[in-house]
Order: sequence, then structure tokens, then C-alpha cells
Amino acid sequence: MAARDQHGPGAPWGKDFHVVGHAQRKVDAMAKATGEAVYTDDIQLPGMLHAKMLRSPHAHARIVSIDTSKAEALPGVHAVLVGSELPIKYGVIPWTPDETALAVDKVRFIGDEVAAVAAVDEDTAQAAVELIEVEYEILDAILDPEQALVTPEPAIHEDRKRRDNISKHVDLSFGDVDAQVAEAAVVIEEDYEFSSNTHTAIEPHCAVAQLGADGRLTLWSATQITHYVHRAIARVLELHPARVRVVQPCLGGAFGGKSDPFSLEFVVSKLAMKTGRPVKMLWTREEVFYAHRGRHAMKMHYRTTATANGMITGVDAKLLIDGGSYSSFGLVTTYYSGQLLTGPYDFPNYRFDSTRVFTNKPPCGPKRGHGSVQPRFAFEVQLDEVAHRLGIDPIEIRRRNFLGDHTTTVNGQRITSNGFLECLDAVEKASGWKERHGKMPFGRGLGVAGSMYISGTNYPIYPNKMPQAGIQIKVDRSGLVTVFTGGNDIGQGSNSMVAYLVAEELGIRPRDVRVVAADTDLCPVDLGAYSSRVTFMVGNAAIDAARKLRKQITESVASHWATAPSEVRMINGVVIDLQDPDRTMSQREAFHLAEEAHDTLGSTGSYNTPTLGGDYRGGSIGASPAYSFTAHIAEVEVDPETGRITVDKVWVAHDCGRALNPTIVAGQIEGSTYMGAGEVVLEEHTMNRFGLHQGPSLLDYRIPTSLDTPDIEAHMVESIDPEGPYGAKEAGEGPLHSTIPAIANAVHDAVGIRLRTLPFHPSKVLRALAEQKPAQEVQA
Amino acid sequence: MRVFRLQVNGDPLDVAAPEHWSLLEVLRYRLGLTGSKQGCDKGDCGACTVLIDGTPTLACLALPATLEGKDITTIEGLRPLHQKAGGQGVDPVQDAFDRCGALQCGFCQPGMILSTKALLSDNPDPSRREIQDALAGNLCRCTGYTQIFQAVELVADEVAGREPRKPAWAQAREQEIAAASPKEEPFQPEHGGQA
Amino acid sequence: MLRMPPFTVLNPSTVDEAMEQMLAAAGEARWLAGGTDINPNLKHRLLEPQALIALEGVGELRGVSVNEKGWLRLGAMTTLTEVAEHAQIQAQWPALAQAASLVSGPQLRNMGTIGGNVMLDTRCQWYNQTHFWRKSLGYCMKKDGTECHVIKGGSKCVAAASNDTAPALMTLDAEIEIASGDGRARMPLAELWQADGIWNRKLSPQELLVAIHLPPTAAKHHGAYGKLRDRGSIDFPLFGIAVRLDLDDAGKIAHAALCAVALQARPWPLKKVADALCGTTPGEQDFLDAVEQVAALAAKQCRPMPNIPGDHEYRHAMVPVYTKRTLFAAAAKAGPVHHL
Ligand SMILES: Cc1cc2nc3c(=O)[nH]c(=O)nc-3n(C[C@H](O)[C@H](O)[C@H](O)COP(=O)(O)OP(=O)(O)OC[C@H]3O[C@@H](n4cnc5c(N)ncnc54)[C@H](O)[C@@H]3O)c2cc1C
Ligand code: FES
Ligand code: FES
Repeated sequence: MAARDQHGPGAPWGKDFHVVGHAQRKVDAMAKATGEAVYTDDIQLPGMLHAKMLRSPHAHARIVSIDTSKAEALPGVHAVLVGSELPIKYGVIPWTPDETALAVDKVRFIGDEVAAVAAVDEDTAQAAVELIEVEYEILDAILDPEQALVTPEPAIHEDRKRRDNISKHVDLSFGDVDAQVAEAAVVIEEDYEFSSNTHTAIEPHCAVAQLGADGRLTLWSATQITHYVHRAIARVLELHPARVRVVQPCLGGAFGGKSDPFSLEFVVSKLAMKTGRPVKMLWTREEVFYAHRGRHAMKMHYRTTATANGMITGVDAKLLIDGGSYSSFGLVTTYYSGQLLTGPYDFPNYRFDSTRVFTNKPPCGPKRGHGSVQPRFAFEVQLDEVAHRLGIDPIEIRRRNFLGDHTTTVNGQRITSNGFLECLDAVEKASGWKERHGKMPFGRGLGVAGSMYISGTNYPIYPNKMPQAGIQIKVDRSGLVTVFTGGNDIGQGSNSMVAYLVAEELGIRPRDVRVVAADTDLCPVDLGAYSSRVTFMVGNAAIDAARKLRKQITESVASHWATAPSEVRMINGVVIDLQDPDRTMSQREAFHLAEEAHDTLGSTGSYNTPTLGGDYRGGSIGASPAYSFTAHIAEVEVDPETGRITVDKVWVAHDCGRALNPTIVAGQIEGSTYMGAGEVVLEEHTMNRFGLHQGPSLLDYRIPTSLDTPDIEAHMVESIDPEGPYGAKEAGEGPLHSTIPAIANAVHDAVGIRLRTLPFHPSKVLRALAEQKPAQEVQA
Repeated sequence: MRVFRLQVNGDPLDVAAPEHWSLLEVLRYRLGLTGSKQGCDKGDCGACTVLIDGTPTLACLALPATLEGKDITTIEGLRPLHQKAGGQGVDPVQDAFDRCGALQCGFCQPGMILSTKALLSDNPDPSRREIQDALAGNLCRCTGYTQIFQAVELVADEVAGREPRKPAWAQAREQEIAAASPKEEPFQPEHGGQA
Repeated sequence: MLRMPPFTVLNPSTVDEAMEQMLAAAGEARWLAGGTDINPNLKHRLLEPQALIALEGVGELRGVSVNEKGWLRLGAMTTLTEVAEHAQIQAQWPALAQAASLVSGPQLRNMGTIGGNVMLDTRCQWYNQTHFWRKSLGYCMKKDGTECHVIKGGSKCVAAASNDTAPALMTLDAEIEIASGDGRARMPLAELWQADGIWNRKLSPQELLVAIHLPPTAAKHHGAYGKLRDRGSIDFPLFGIAVRLDLDDAGKIAHAALCAVALQARPWPLKKVADALCGTTPGEQDFLDAVEQVAALAAKQCRPMPNIPGDHEYRHAMVPVYTKRTLFAAAAKAGPVHHL
């Protein structure tokens, strides 16, 4: 039975929480702070070889021939690998397998993987890579998504049913948007553009593989989806999955950038099998930019209709999504681009028509706030335009259209807890909005925006009825509790979260819980760190498993003390008889009693979502057991002479359900907000006229430094979700969304210009200011 | 191949490595000191920051041949140095980073912590702007820097014997963040105890 | 990680020894100072010398001193942090201290030297890239190719001088002390440059910059540096401008100089600006008028090209803005001018 059926959001022992909600250390922080933590590139195995990749210098070309003989002849080279040795296609979404580990007959972007070499060291491997001779037949490259839409030939992927460059098309309509236009007091219709940007985790991708003497393959990889990598490796390498072990070592950031199976994972595995030696491949920063899977560029057309009171009557959207060269999560992206917009406001009528196209550029994928950050930007700016047109305060219009809690959206998504109004209240008060909005001198402004996001989704990527998250617990006679989870801690603190929940449920201290995670041989399956699902799903599974164990322990102690189990309480590792508080024992003694009574102690727990989603094709995509809500207010300064936007301060309130560790939640809110701010003012992942990445480095792709980050003030709204683990929801992605439109709206408040194309480079600001001037003069 | 005589975390070490290897490669792949991280390998990110004679330096752009006779401190050296100086547990900077949530993925943190060490040894009570300036060569993609700034300020507050500053959310919860319960659990080997 | 080409590192301890090693290497060696420019360039395979001659141990290249005539001597190996934080430089040669303080980020200023900064290789978005990247385009004229991607059909490389301290040193009439196979020589920094992005100096790579000498500044010297960049740290200049204003006893400008960088191969001294500024009084209307005039001159004389990253039209629009702001900062004894 799934955990959601068994426990509510309340504390397990009495009314107070002892671990959850309190300041806690993270289980792995000290290892990270001292350099002790082992990340993938920190692994060195005896006899390990180093591998390097040969990449395509052409944006679109057919491979005529590959000659590896010179590379193979280089002393120190152990193996050279080409695409024909790994021809089986894969892709994270089982319906769209269009990638191969190395190009088989075609290359589709500059940087596409073509061949690989394993050698005694990186110097030799690199020298050998340069000796591989490839003959290409160059094809026309399609770089512009508009062009891709109307250009079926050359098809970037030739062996699909459809012979064109359309990756996915979704057209869904709820109610009748067109009928609203005639009666609307206001109709705003505009184009918005979001350019691509990328995750830029500071740790580059890395993988190490070893084929054991027992015939088992172990792959250590900087991945956030161990389980899907496990499946993909077994399939592509044609190995029995029981002989494949995938381990995620400590991970140096991901943000969605490590949630596809990547070429290097297959390549090191195959090279390890070919050579009989462990093989490591570490991508350079440049290669990480080619791997990309970052935010899709989108061209978006929105039309919103509203009554004179500012009540939204319809939203109509048409989106063109630039997918780059492969599908990746594109099917989901295309749905998310429309499905996740239907809150926190009530849309009586809604339509979206989204088309994702292939282009000869690095493939796009899921970046923090997958698929929904771009439409959120467009819509929240448009809503601001509606408010201005009607003379309604921008916060007020958001309140009026509030969707409510325990309700259903127009596209059939079930909403449980919803603290959006409290979020608006919190940022309104903290920012001094009432006194300051619209009243500050030219050049300084405040802007607001809101958003919602999923806490996991009930769509499990590959159809199956097994749990989405599982937990196993082992209890040691020493008093230590070991928890095994397939969940991927990518820095967001999910391993710590597991320790807190198990400690809370067992009445022990988190330091007496050890978490073993993301190792497919040791840990029960969890689907991975994406869609903000880990806290919600793994958390529920952890409570489920710990609660079963608790029952065994309290019953054993109760029978020893000859009292009722309800009279036994465990707090911080001390077991107390509530009838006789002087009677106590340690958790260790209690574990011994339980082991005597029940034999070796252990427990499992799991979580699966209830059946959710609208009753139509794609209706379950974006259907989440709970949604988080966010409101942002940004304060900006715009220098009218340089066009530079400085985001001075951002107030953000996020409804995360119960904050299991407020310090970690604050960190997620701040990190998301920072990332959003970077997307507004600095970051742009662009290709030059050759289709080559403009500047694949941390120098030219500019992420904010400590001097560029806004002053961020995080607030938590704890709506306590009825189905979340102790009432928790997500915090890792939601708080990015509304950062961007809040800044855009603040720019309008500051200098009166509407910027609808991201990023807001100062040159765009200057242009808009110059265009605005004559208009003002005409008015005057 | 050349044998370099390096002084790393107080130890004199003879290490043989190709001459064109960076200090970062020698530390990580010859000496096993993998705490120094690589995020770009060309000076753009600060993940590889080590202290050379106390000064923050990028190991990916430093050549070992120019470092003989200098004192190299890596993240692995911090706790032993702190204990050698009579301290308990980990260095207060390491401790504060955990208590403030500054360690998310942790990949930027060895560099960040060493830059912080250098800052605080010159300026034990820096302003927010001085902290931003000192850390402006260390990119962090996880935290948005806020909790890092708070960690540096926590160390400064505790050294100065002041009431630690608290972020708005912690004030709102009327709950001690930094100075709260984790402080009671210093990272020490435990003997006996309750479990 | 990125692979450097194999090389050996030599560690001389005197200038003479260093010169001997350089000559013995017959063109196959390069000087290694802080390594913050040459090492990334090696990793990009922009050069493949057989040896690097490390200047780290050469005592004569170290130290900051002021002689009895008030001349400042900066050993070539003085770090940018030392320059930026030196109280006397901040007071008497403020544009230099300010420029050094805005180079890159803290660790790179700790490593990077003033000598290396003057000798910095020119930069271009088509050049400062990995070997793979450059090869994908068939290379460019500056290295391994023949074409220029900045100016279609261009016959001359237009990679940009991007060293922040160079314009400040230019306005301060710096002289450079050089060691070569022929012994020592001293020359004005202004005479160092040539308009060729492939190699923008008139010295060969074998000649050694020993020290930089700056004449004393006037009692009422005002200087400032302005730098346009996207982020508050790390980034090279998108445009940089140094300003020098020397006032007479009456508070009128007696001498003025401006020099810009991040435009083309050479640092770019602005012409006719002294004519406009001299005789005016900061704080008075004539100075304000002169500032407008100089800003217009700067916009005319400084023509950013799409060589370094960033929108070059925007960079051009910022030329008068940064020129003005830096002039005002200098007049007010403030600066640096930076967006933070
Ligand atoms: C991420 C990053 C950002 C940067 N940002 C900036 C910036 O904003 N502004 C800026 O100006 N620079 C910047 N730099 C470049 C560099 O850090 C500085 O210019 C620094 O001053 C270079 O000095 P160095 O001692 O490290 O030079 P090195 O790399 O050691 O040498 C540079 C060149 O000069 C030659 N050379 C060095 N010393 C001498 C000498 N004494 N005589 C003759 N030739 C010599 C070398 O052979 C080499 O060709 C940046 C670099 C990086 C990696
Ligand atoms: S790895 Fe050295 S600065 Fe990025
Ligand atoms: S904690 Fe992940 S990069 Fe800083």
C-alpha cells in the first residue's frame, strides 16, 4: 500500500516535531567542506584508462567513412570506439529513442559525438583522437526554428514516421477562448521570446566504468537519474540488467543537466568491456556546453482576455519550441509548455498549441522549471499588461484571479494545498509594495509575479505499476539505522531529508541515521531527481518504511514494560514510558528488544501517486500529487544611459508545504531566484552563424558572480499539504519561475518599457527607451 | 616527467609528474588530494582555488615547477591545521558553511572556503561588499551566494562575540538558525553516548 | 581536463640567466609570469613552445619602489593585487591602481603580473577558443588559418588589446625597461605597440620586460579608470578608458590624456582631447562643455568591432558614456567607473 494512504501531515510522536522544522546539519556537508566527499572524477581505480571523445566539426553531415588505424597504432592507446559498435538507439523518453552513443551515420550538431579513444592517460587519448580521420558529406544545416517548421528536408532525423523536422506537436483546448474576445473588456495580444540558456553545474560530466572479473559492469556517473541510466546501459550494451550496477557518487550540481543518459556513460562502459580495464571519461567545460539539455528557446504568442474587473476569461497561446538536435525530454517539454500554466490563477478557458522542432544545435532538455519557465514569463508579463490597462494593482489582479485550494484546474489538474495568497501577502508586506510601487523615481521600480510548479508527476516516463519511490531500512544492534534509497542527492539535500524523516519517525537523532543512496545494486528504485519529485515521493516512502519499523519497536518495548504501545515514546534516541517518565531506555536497547521479538529488523516503504490528471491524451503529463506556489517581487534599478538593469533586491515567498529543514528550503529558494535573475540579465546560450556555440566556457557564458547576485530575501509559506511527507511539497524548481517576470515587470515600473524578449541585454533596454521617447512626445 | 619538491599542507613531498601538468592535476591525480575541484580548467570558475603562502590561487593555471619552496594549502589541510593549532573539530569556516546551508552540491565549496579563510585572516570582520569582492572569483551555481555570505558573517560574528545576524526567514520563525541545535553537536569522534 | 602541449619549465634566478636560456632555445621558448594568460592559451593550443622560462625566481623582476626623483618602478613580476592595493600608487597613480583592481577576479589578480598584463596576447571571440572549436571553422588568420571572421575579407588581424592596465600606463607616460640579447634598453610604452592583432608589440617574444617606470605625477594629478563589462568580476573589458587630468594651482586643467582599450590591436590614445580639456576648470561650465566635446571625440575615434564578445554597437554606444563618467570620476578624485 502506498504511504499516502497511511499517514497525514502531523508529527509522529505527540504534537511537536523534534527533527523536522528545526535547524539540522546536512548528512554530507562536512564531507564536502573538508574535501573528503568523493565525486565521480575523484575516483581512481588501479589500472584505470582515460578516454577522450572525437566530436563533429559540422552542424549537419553524413559520415562517409571513419579511419581509426592511425589512432589505434599510437603507443598507449588501448581501444578506439566508433558508432557502429553501439548502434542501439536510446532516449530518456521511451517513445522517442533517437540518440546513439556515438554517431552512426550522421552528425546533427557541432559537437556531436563521433568516436572515442581509451589510452593510458588523457594526453595520449587526446593525441589519438586527433589521428582519427573522418570523411563527411556536408548537409544543409537548419539553425532557425522558424525555418525548421517549414523545411521538411533535409530531415534531421530520417527514420521517423513523419518526414519533417517537427519533434512534437500538442494542441489542447479547454473551453472556448475565441468566444471570449468579443465580450472582453480588455484583450492583450503580444509576442514574447525566451532564448536558450543552460544549467552550468560547476561539476562537469564524468563517468567511470569497470568490468569486474565476475562479469559485472559497474558504472559510476555524475547523473541525477541512476535508474534510467541503468536501464539504458543494459539496453544499449545488450547486457542483462542484473549484471549492471550504476552508482551516482557525490554530485556537483545538476539542475536537470544530468537527467538524460549521456554518450560518455555508454562509451566508458563499452571501452571497459573492450579493454578489460577501468575507464574514465571527464568532459571538459566546452563539452558540457555541447551536451547542453538546457532551457529551450521559445517564441510565444499569447492572447489574454479579461473583464473590466480584471477577471481572466481566456488565455490562448501558440508556442514554437527550438529543441536542438535530439528529442531528450522534448515530448514532456512540449506538454509542460502548456499544461503547467493553469494556476495559481483560474483560467475559465484555455488553449495552447505548442510545436517543438529539431534544429542542428546542441539538444535542449529539462532545466530547472522544465518547460514552464518560458510560458510563465510570457503570461505573467501579459497579466501585468492587463492590470495596467485596467488600472488594477498588479498584486490585486493576481488575488482576484486566485484559483483556490482543493480544486481542479481547467485542464483537469487536481490542486490540494495552495498558499499562494499568503505568498503574495508576504512579499507585498516585506517589500513595502503599497508605499513604493509606482511611486519611485524614474529608473527604480518594483514588479510582481506568481507561479506554480509540480511536486513530482504521476507520469513515470516508462509505463509501469510499480512504486515510483522505494525505501529500505536496516537496523543495527549498535543503534545505527541505515536507510537505502534510490533517490539522487544532487546538492538539494535529499539524502539529508531522508535522514530527518526517518529520525523523526523513529524518535532518534539524524546523526544515528546513515543514508546509502543512488546505487542500483544496493538501493530500491527511485526514478531520479527530476520534476521536483524526490522530497515528496522518497519522503513519503521513507515515512512509510520507518513507521512500520516504529510499530515493531514500540510494541516490543511496550510488551517488555508491560504497557500499551501508545504509552511508549521515543524522542532524540531516548525511549520513555509516558506513564512512568523515569522509566527509560536507549534506542539501542529498544532495537535489541525488537530484534528479539521480531527477528532481524528491516523494513521497506514505497510511494506511488494516486491516479491524477485530465481524461484526455496527455492529461497525466503535468499532473502532480501537489503543487508548490511562489510569489516574487523584484526591485530594479535601470540606468537609462547605459541600459543596464540592476536587480537590487528580490523578495520571494514560496509555499513549500511543511519546511522539513528551513535552512535547506531557504537555500533552494535563493538558488532558484539567483538562477532566474541570471537568465534575465546575463545568460544566453547562442550559436554563431556556423552553428557553433558562441562561447562554450564559463568566461563567455556569463553566470552571475557574488557581485552580480541580487540581495534575496526568502520567505516560507507552509500550507501543509495533506499528502506530502509531513505536509511537505517541493522547493527546488518552483521559486525560479516568477523571478523572471517579476524583474520584467519591475523594469516597466522603473522606466515604462515592456521588454518581451529575453535576456534583457542593456542594448535592448536602450532601444526600447529610445522607441518609447517619441511615443511619449506624441502623447505630450 | 620531472620530480617536484612541493610543500603541501605542511608535508614536504617529492612528486613525479609530466612538466606540463597543472598543479591541479598533480594534486588530484598524483597526490590523491581530490578536494580541489575542476570546473573549467582555465581560470574562469575558482573551483580549484588553493592557498599559496596564504594567498588564493587557481591551481588549474599554476604550474608546479614555479611552486617549489612555497607553502600550498588545500582544503584537506584545513582541519588538521585547525587541530594542530589547538582547535577542536573542523575549522570554524567549514563549520559555519554547514550551519548556514552554504554547502549544497559542495563542488564550489573547497575553493569558496579557502577564499573565505584568506579573507578572514586579513579582515576578520568584513562588510557584505567586502565578502562579495573577496569571493568574486569563485562561481557557485547552487546557493545564489546568500547562505555563503551568511556563513562568512557568522564566523565574523562569533569571532567578535556578537549575536549572530539572522536572515529574515529565520527571524520570522523566531528560531535560531545558525546558533541553534547543530552547534551542540560538534563534529568530533564520539565515545560511548546514547545510541 | 584540457591538454597542454608538452613543454619543459626552466627556472632561472637572474635576468642574465633567463636571457641565456631564451637565446639558447632559439625561438622555441616563452616567458612565463603569472601564467594566467599563457596557460589558457596553451590549453587552447594557441602556441606550442618547447619550453617556458619561469620568471618567478628572478629577483630583479620583483618589487615596487619610488626613487629619489619620484619615479615609480614596478618590477615586471609585481602582481596586480600588489599594484591595486599599494597605497602610494593609489594616491599618486590612481588610474593604474584602479585599472589593476578591475582586472578579472581576486585569484587571477593574485597570480597575474603587471608585466604579463602589458604583454597580454590580443583577444578575439574567434581566437580565444579551443583547438576543436577553431578547427571547426577552418581556423582564423591569427592562428593556423588565413581568414578573418570579424571582417569578411579582412587582410589584417583585428584582435583586441584587452589589458586593463595598458591605457592607464599610457596616460601616465610609462616607460618600459627591456632586456634582450643586446643588453638593456628603455623606451616609452607608447612606442611599444603596432597595429597588428597577431602580435601587437614591436618587441619579439624573446625580449624581456624587466620593469615599468612611471614618472612622478603632478601635485594636483587626477586619474581614473572606467571599465565596461557584463559582470562585476572575472570578465575582460568590453571597453576600457583611462583618464588623466593634471591641474595647475588655479585649479585649471594643465595637462590631459585619455587612452582606451578593447577596441583593436593597440591601446588607443584619444587625439585632440587635451585641446578640449586644457584650461577648463572641473566643477565649472567650461569643463562640462569640454567633457561633452571629449565624449563626442571619443565616440568618433573609438570604433568597437565584433572582435571580442558582446554587441559591438552597444559597446560603441557606451564609449561616450564611459568617457564622460570616467572624466567626472577623475575630476572628483573618485573612480573606478564600473557598473557596481
Ligand atoms: C578568466 C580570466 C579573466 C581575465 N580577465 C582579465 C581582465 O579583466 N583584464 C585583463 O587585463 N586581463 C585579464 N585576464 C588576463 C590575465 O589574467 C592578466 O592580463 C594578467 O595580468 C596576465 O599576467 P600574467 O603574469 O599571468 O601573464 P602570463 O600569462 O604569465 O604572460 C602573458 C604573456 O606575456 C608574456 N610575458 C609575461 N611576462 C613577461 C615579461 N616580463 N617580459 C616579456 N614577456 C612577458 C608571456 O610570455 C605571455 O605571452 C584574465 C584572465 C583570465 C584567465
Ligand atoms: S578549474 Fe580552475 S578556475 Fe575553474
Ligand atoms: S554549492 Fe554547488 S556550486 Fe556552490
